[in-house]
Amino acid sequence: MLRIQHFSFALNGNCILENLSFSLAKGEYLSVIGPNGAGKSTLLKCIIRVHEHGSTRGEIHLKGRLLSEYDQRTLSALISYVPQAGGWIPPFTVAELLRLSRYPYLSAGGALRKTDLDAVEKALDLTGMKKLASRPLPSLSGGERQKAFVAAALAQDTEIILLDEPASFLDPKHTAELNRLVRVLNREHGITMLTVTHDLNHPLCMEGKVLVLRQGQQLFFGQAQEVLRGKILEDAFSHQFTCFQHPKTGRPTLLAEE
Amino acid sequence: MKRTHTFVCLLLFCGAIVAASPFWGMSTISPSSIWTAGHPDAEVFWRLRFPRTLVAFLAGAGLSISGMVFQALLRNPLATPFTLGVSSGAALGASVYFRLGVFLPVLGSMGTLGAALCGSLLSMAIVYLLTRARGGLSTAVMLLAGVVINFFFSSLVMFTQYLSDANDSLRIMHWLMGSLTGLEIFRIPDLAFVVIVGALVIRHFSMEIDLLAAGEELAASRGVRTNRAKLYVFVIASIIVGTVVSLTGPIGFVGMMIPHICRLWLGWTHRTLLPAAFFLGGCFLVVCDLCARSIMAPAEMPIGIITALIGGPFFLWVLFKSCRAGGLLQ
Repeated sequence: MLRIQHFSFALNGNCILENLSFSLAKGEYLSVIGPNGAGKSTLLKCIIRVHEHGSTRGEIHLKGRLLSEYDQRTLSALISYVPQAGGWIPPFTVAELLRLSRYPYLSAGGALRKTDLDAVEKALDLTGMKKLASRPLPSLSGGERQKAFVAAALAQDTEIILLDEPASFLDPKHTAELNRLVRVLNREHGITMLTVTHDLNHPLCMEGKVLVLRQGQQLFFGQAQEVLRGKILEDAFSHQFTCFQHPKTGRPTLLAEE
Repeated sequence: MKRTHTFVCLLLFCGAIVAASPFWGMSTISPSSIWTAGHPDAEVFWRLRFPRTLVAFLAGAGLSISGMVFQALLRNPLATPFTLGVSSGAALGASVYFRLGVFLPVLGSMGTLGAALCGSLLSMAIVYLLTRARGGLSTAVMLLAGVVINFFFSSLVMFTQYLSDANDSLRIMHWLMGSLTGLEIFRIPDLAFVVIVGALVIRHFSMEIDLLAAGEELAASRGVRTNRAKLYVFVIASIIVGTVVSLTGPIGFVGMMIPHICRLWLGWTHRTLLPAAFFLGGCFLVVCDLCARSIMAPAEMPIGIITALIGGPFFLWVLFKSCRAGGLLQ
């Protein structure tokens, strides 16, 4: 589905990503972790081609074709994106935000057809956002707003969803709700997902693959459980972690030392 | 349904204001007299007040939709034709033309239009290139570049005025205040063409504008070619501003206030917002023009002063009301 080969990215002469190589099959879940400034969000932006003015080396293949061969609309019918929370957003209603996600499928003039409205309805249903459809985004809580953005990515009807720190401003309850929703979309609907996160337990909880970055370099790529071997996380974060078994779930759980 | 209702009420209100405005002024004109050939009131109505009302409406509509576009693309309520330097670019072009006008009589008044358009596009191009040089089209950099260009061009306008003789200097000063007196009626079709076609093109880009207002990353991830869409819409808005400024001089507040009020009313979907901003902007300037020619009659106040006098307090009232209600004004 997504194959990245020896990919490097530089902006204004500064190398931000260096020689990344990994691949993701259809329906897989990839968590990208690393300290601040490791280039995690930049990687997502390179995949959706926001950073067109930077210089790149290497290749990104999507469904067997080079990313550069896709025009922006065709690309956005394959990959959707949930941006980082916290920035200012115009007071669109939830339904309006979801309708905007149908842009890649609209003809000139921008009139929504029945298929577009059905996709919006389906996304509202799946995320449980139907009752909030007419509410303006600023009137929602952080958790509801983040769910609205996931619903908008879902309304885009793509095979891959990229999430940029989706739970960074959420309390534990809303984080758990969001993780449940993301798991359902990945496991039951087969959507390939790539999530940037600061929560080191997220990859262990989602049981997918994990990519560890440090200063733009790839330290590790593999199954989430394997990241616990050796000193990968200690090297990446220059910090010590304690790993223990969760008393309820039995899953390995990480705790940063004081 | 509620929006349709609001919109129909707005249309009826604007229609009534625009239709009634030419009958009022220094003297009131009876509706029956305008159809009597040779009647002095008919002459005043058809030769002076009706074309003037038409220009006021088109100028208000043009400035309002341009302001709406700038605010949405830069996601900032302070982004208007003025803060981005587009108006001062147009003003500089026209001022230079006034100064050189005696040497270019063959161009006539089309020269003012051409010079103002060149000025607005030049300022837009400089802002664009300065922003681009910093990588991408960052909103913050564009806004700062616009403010700098605005100050720089305003200084050049003053310098041009300083170099002019008393007549040209007075002409430039009066024009800089924004005025609808002494309009060139034959240029109304040009203005109508630019404003109406510009509005239709902006409507075509309404979904791109919505997405760009939601954020550049989000827009790109939804398939918008962000730099290209921004460039097209900026050029169109600049052409509208240049054309309006060439005819009326720079008129402030319309492009800042009217889109705000419309957003509070109708939300942020630009397909709905555009016609509202168009009609309300037009209607607002018609009312301002009516005040300009009535308050100190028989003398006339420059319309730019009226827009600031009416627009400023009204804008503050809307702002405070919105903040108290936890409203949508950002």
